[in-house]
Amino acid sequence: MKKLNVAFLAIAFLFSCSNEQEKLNSSSYLFETVSPESSGIEFANIVTEDAEHNIISYIYYYNGGGVATGDVNNDGLSDLFFVSNMGNNKLYLNKGDLKFEDISDKANISGNASWQTGVTLVDINNDGFLDIYICAVSEYLDFKGHNELYINNGDNTFTEKAKDYGLDFKGYSTQSYFFDYDKDGDLDAYLVNHAVHTSLSHGKAELRHKREPLTGDVLLKNDNGQFIDVSEEANIYGGINGYGLSATIADFNNDGWDDIYVCNDFHEDDYYYINQKDGKFKEQLAKSFTTISRFSMGSDASDINGDGYQDLMTLDMLPRDEVVLKETEGDDSMFNMQVHLNNLGYKDQYSRNMLQMNNSGEFFQETAILNNVADTDWSWSPLFADYNNDGYQDLFVSNGILRRPNGLDFKKYISSAFKGRSEAEGLAWLYNSINEMASGKVTNEIFEGNSKTFKRQTGNWIKNQPNISNGAIYVDLDLDGDLDIVTNNYGETASLLENTTKNKNYIELDFIYKDSNIEGIGSKVIIYTNKKRQLKQLFKSRGFMSSFESKIHFGLGQTKTIDSLEIIWPNNEVQIIKNPEINQSLSVSFKPSNNVKDYDNSKQKSTIFKKKDLIEYTHTEDLYNDFAEEKLIPYKISMQGPAVAIGDIDNDGYEDLFLGNASDKVGTIFKNTGTRFIETKQTVLEQDAAFEDNDAVFFDADNDGDLDLYVASGVNERKDINYQHDRLYINNDGTYVKAQNQIPENTLVTSTVSASDYDQDGDIDLFIGILADANDFGKLTTSYILNNDGKGNFTIDNEFELTSKVTDAKWEDINDDGLSDLIVATEWDTPKIYLNSTGGLELISLSENYKGLWQSINTFDIDNDGDKDILLGNWGTNTKLSLNTDGPLKMYHNDFDENGKFETLLAYSKNGVYYPLNSKDEMAGQMNLVNKVYTDHKSYAGKPFDKIILPNFLNESTIYEAITFATSYLKNDNGEYKEVIQLPDAFQMAPVNTFSKINIGDKPQLIVAGNSYKVNTYHGSYTSLKGLLVNDITKFKSISTEGISPFDGQIKQLETIKMKDKNILIVVTNNDDIRTYTFQD
Amino acid sequence: MRLKHLILFPVLCFTVFSCKEEKPIEISSNDYHNAVDKLTQVMIHDIFSPPVASRIYAYPNIAAYETLNQNNASYRSLNGQLNDLTLNPPENADVPNLKLASIVAYLDVAKELVFSKDSITKYRDSLYKEWDDINSKEFNIAKSYGREISQQIIAWMNKDNYAETRTMPDYNIYTNDPSQWEPTPPAYMKGIEPHWNKIRPFVLDSAAQFKPKKHPKFSLEEGSAFYQELIDVYNVTNNIRAKGDNCEEIQIARFWDCNPFVSVNKGHFMFAEKKITPGAHWIGICKIACKDTNSDYQKTIFAYTKTSIAIADAFISCWDEKYRSNLIRPETLINKHIDTDWSPILQTPPFPEYTSGHSVVSGASSEALTDIFGDNFSFDDTTELPYGLPMRRFKSFRLAAQEAAVSRLYGSIHYKAAVEVGVEQGIGVGNLVNSKLEFLK
Repeated sequence: MKKLNVAFLAIAFLFSCSNEQEKLNSSSYLFETVSPESSGIEFANIVTEDAEHNIISYIYYYNGGGVATGDVNNDGLSDLFFVSNMGNNKLYLNKGDLKFEDISDKANISGNASWQTGVTLVDINNDGFLDIYICAVSEYLDFKGHNELYINNGDNTFTEKAKDYGLDFKGYSTQSYFFDYDKDGDLDAYLVNHAVHTSLSHGKAELRHKREPLTGDVLLKNDNGQFIDVSEEANIYGGINGYGLSATIADFNNDGWDDIYVCNDFHEDDYYYINQKDGKFKEQLAKSFTTISRFSMGSDASDINGDGYQDLMTLDMLPRDEVVLKETEGDDSMFNMQVHLNNLGYKDQYSRNMLQMNNSGEFFQETAILNNVADTDWSWSPLFADYNNDGYQDLFVSNGILRRPNGLDFKKYISSAFKGRSEAEGLAWLYNSINEMASGKVTNEIFEGNSKTFKRQTGNWIKNQPNISNGAIYVDLDLDGDLDIVTNNYGETASLLENTTKNKNYIELDFIYKDSNIEGIGSKVIIYTNKKRQLKQLFKSRGFMSSFESKIHFGLGQTKTIDSLEIIWPNNEVQIIKNPEINQSLSVSFKPSNNVKDYDNSKQKSTIFKKKDLIEYTHTEDLYNDFAEEKLIPYKISMQGPAVAIGDIDNDGYEDLFLGNASDKVGTIFKNTGTRFIETKQTVLEQDAAFEDNDAVFFDADNDGDLDLYVASGVNERKDINYQHDRLYINNDGTYVKAQNQIPENTLVTSTVSASDYDQDGDIDLFIGILADANDFGKLTTSYILNNDGKGNFTIDNEFELTSKVTDAKWEDINDDGLSDLIVATEWDTPKIYLNSTGGLELISLSENYKGLWQSINTFDIDNDGDKDILLGNWGTNTKLSLNTDGPLKMYHNDFDENGKFETLLAYSKNGVYYPLNSKDEMAGQMNLVNKVYTDHKSYAGKPFDKIILPNFLNESTIYEAITFATSYLKNDNGEYKEVIQLPDAFQMAPVNTFSKINIGDKPQLIVAGNSYKVNTYHGSYTSLKGLLVNDITKFKSISTEGISPFDGQIKQLETIKMKDKNILIVVTNNDDIRTYTFQD
Repeated sequence: MRLKHLILFPVLCFTVFSCKEEKPIEISSNDYHNAVDKLTQVMIHDIFSPPVASRIYAYPNIAAYETLNQNNASYRSLNGQLNDLTLNPPENADVPNLKLASIVAYLDVAKELVFSKDSITKYRDSLYKEWDDINSKEFNIAKSYGREISQQIIAWMNKDNYAETRTMPDYNIYTNDPSQWEPTPPAYMKGIEPHWNKIRPFVLDSAAQFKPKKHPKFSLEEGSAFYQELIDVYNVTNNIRAKGDNCEEIQIARFWDCNPFVSVNKGHFMFAEKKITPGAHWIGICKIACKDTNSDYQKTIFAYTKTSIAIADAFISCWDEKYRSNLIRPETLINKHIDTDWSPILQTPPFPEYTSGHSVVSGASSEALTDIFGDNFSFDDTTELPYGLPMRRFKSFRLAAQEAAVSRLYGSIHYKAAVEVGVEQGIGVGNLVNSKLEFLK
């Protein structure tokens, strides 16, 4: 009790949620709010609750409604349509100058369904007038009605005719998406529907194959104006577990046919349907995505980086505010759930926004944290558009929920006063308590893009004002060449934000296509300006429940000319317009041509690497669970393998291979005959299967001319210390036997071993790198050098001392003086570079600012200046440790609850204040005392770290820091090593575990790889580093372009081995098969 | 001597001083019942798991009992009888109001055990004020004595390995063993108290003293004893579910649910239903028995103390087996192999299946209560009334225990063996408490 500062509890800490540089003069926002009095738009989505209709009886009661725009009366001005969940919809005619007229009463569009959701304005009958399709939830509770289609009579009145078209769907619809999936010239429809309850036992993922009426998504094929359900034959999932909240239609793989990404809430995976061009789709999320959002809500696609492929964003609900983070349930509590869902066949999902960068249509790389767009709180609608007309895609996100139903105090201490009442009484009681739930009003967010990264402009471009916005659109309402924003707000008047961008160029396009797709939905436009291209594809429904004009808008910045404008029509015919006039709205009519877009997909490019299975071996992680042992540690130290060693053990001129496994799996030596690899039988390795093999090296320990083997051990599943020491195996004519008493006993987690005759006495010595004590994560451990007496007996070199958490090390002659220098990567410390001279090893002094979570180290002339630089693999800047922090990450090691067991606590800095990384429940799981000091979550949430832990305990702690997470290199500046330089963003996607050298065509290159599954559920997993083939800091590309499958796993290292007529590249991955590729040098 | 003094003191006050300040402070059995009820309420708020709750009941009762009975004509101190308990009773213990002192000691220990310490201290302070107003001198003597005992009890309590077990590893859910326990719907909580067998028992010589026989060998082969028990759970549940909510089996299952934290998730909307624990239910029965028999203050404390010791050791015994056999719950197996949509009548609690905690605890506490109040003691069990469940009538503690045990089968959270063997295990613990501890002189 002493240690936790009770005295501070009574003091209220009032932190402003943000320290935005809020503009004092409101007239300087890029977006000006237009008042309802001025605009005439008084619509508000008013939702009332009663005992039968509320967030308890319907899980999506707070999801709000959509908004749509389009020119319904063909006067050249875009009109607005608002959906009311339970009231009357509204249609406003745009009268110009941002004035609107409510024509709802006359228009007859108020809606008959009890609960309405999404809306799409689309000219369904191709008569030149926009019709209105409104989704509804029906056949649930006492909700009546069906999805409705209001046909435009051409006189500002509408007639409901859904039944005539077969569009009178009854069920739990969220939104409709109209597009021509089968390229027969008419518009088909995809309906995103949602389940209405969360089953307690979830059910297997396979449930998605069993179509469920009302709930399952539906694909409707347009058959001469009649919409027919073809979901089953088109392979569209429609299971009871589909919690569909949005879809994004785009030709993701640039094959000319439109694909579908479906966002599913809760445990169901999202769906990624690739159009098979034969009326069918193939779902292949698992093939193309490794990291997806858990509570996927709205989504949008756009080519953000200008590579010609459309990228994807899906929204989730990770709060940015420190108090909200700690008061509500987060991913930290998902550990058991995730294991359970995995067993049921679901993919791991993480509760944060995902920004999925499209790599040539083959796979997506998740980059939301790197772009600072991962945590926008309870978010509905992401809208990519060029809001400031500078030629780059920006991002608007609508946000907010009436009440946060996932509050931990509400669950534990408020709702739970609900005792044993009958179900009906209980629900009534609960209903009466929902006012106790915390408000979820949060500001909408806006981010400025520059095609490389996003910068938050909330507070500058829009007012930082908490509210609840669900459906949202952009549209140029006042025809001034920039995009205004309209949001449908929950319980409040809709917002109209006028864009005041000035002095920037733009072009806007609309289309007159043919057949039964007069609006040209699915058309792509690529504009080429000054070596830059922008691509957009026309679809009506985007974001969340909302729909847009059939127009495409491009900002041009200061560019005055467009070199050309390429339109790819839905039938893939190409139409080119050279040098169109800018700053205009250009209407393009389809002209038939024989110029069909060549998507280039069929051409087989010759690649450097070819897949060839030469080594059959699987690394299988054991069941050791670091997070059960020590509950507060941020990542595992038990997943360091596989161990790899290469050496010619039989002196036949071909290098052989040792692969070590996790505990209770046997390590194996493969002999390379020059043409194939043969597994050798090594009894001692079978006997030592219980050891966990982290690293290994072949070297001649006893100076007898053959290669012996040192294996570095980690922690084993049995937690048996007898299987935790490193091992030295002596080569006896090809049979390895374990050396007795030749190396000192070491039962700590050894991460790395590296061999060299560093003292030049004619025998090989070893550096042994220690990562951790398996029983005490934060404890300092000492690595050492083993001196060889020439006969294979090793003793610790007392001249050398390194106490740090070592992850990787190499002996390399970095200054070309003929002596091996020692380079060491460490966690929570600076890299250690020891220059070897005849006088011994001398540590180069590096700035403290280079403390990082260094994972790997190597040498390479990365800056192409003729000398070897030192490459430093770090965690990267795309992990949660980099999310919204503004100071060094700190790690404290001490016995905070004075029970004899040391804890390791992490704290991050936000706005200059340190907060504990862990939730109250996590802390209490290790330190029961926390429950006594903080009897609810509110009292813990938002409390600074030094108010939770008493100063004397902080001061007595061993304090570690990580100041930089960027993968970098230490520049060799004429033999001086001072400056650590950050590598480009492509290197920052995930932890870098290896810089593997490879010679291709006699040119030394690097393969950079990594990823991490070591992290707990607070992090999820980091798998966005798909592999880079690097010439130098300016020349690098994805390894997938050269025939190597993108890396999804946690890559340990890559090795190359020569064979008789080829080289092979071996990809060594934790908990996965060994993969091999051939290449020629 | 002490008895005489107690009788004389009020007389003295009235006749000699005739001042209201010196009026003796009346402490009745109800005052003690109220203190126990207060502790129960705080425990519900704080959400303690059943084993932890059993510990929280035991120590304050022991403190009260010891305060009362260092030198009692009828009751024997447990000093030297409970594992590692060596009290040094205060010298010169001339305490006019030992009853009051025992409540002081009770609350003093209780506040150390709960999270919401403030709730106990507020309750205590209001009593203190009341007593101080009535008779400051008497109150202060009693307070001082009660706290001398309670401080010693706390020191003894703090060495029971509870603090150490807080920091021990969690149950590791990674497994390749199909018989091994997995977290259960809907919250998939961590396995509760995997190291509870390391807590020092009160009477047992070790947690394994009543190590039960093995459960039927895990097998999913049709016809195997284990599979038969599994399919029985499935069939029994389906049968009683078909009979409807008002059927006897469902009434029984709900009555004895005693799950302190039933989580419910509806979409993002999370709430929980809180109830008392199995131990608390039997503490409630103890209260009913005391009241029905108009038990005096001493007997009331004796009954609570003995019952709570039996309950606490029953949990240690039971939890020892739970994490020895680590058996998977029927819900997990039925969902995996028989019926994916099936759910149990009660929410499965978050720990391994074998043996049934409620069965062991009911076995143990019914034996203790029978020893105190006699067999064939019929009573109306109104313990669950505040939680919206009706009264049930029992002809004896043992019959109540049998019903509590079988309720776990009706609730579809246990196999038959866990229930049958569990009651036997509990009876063993109860009998040991009865035979080993000498409460009466």
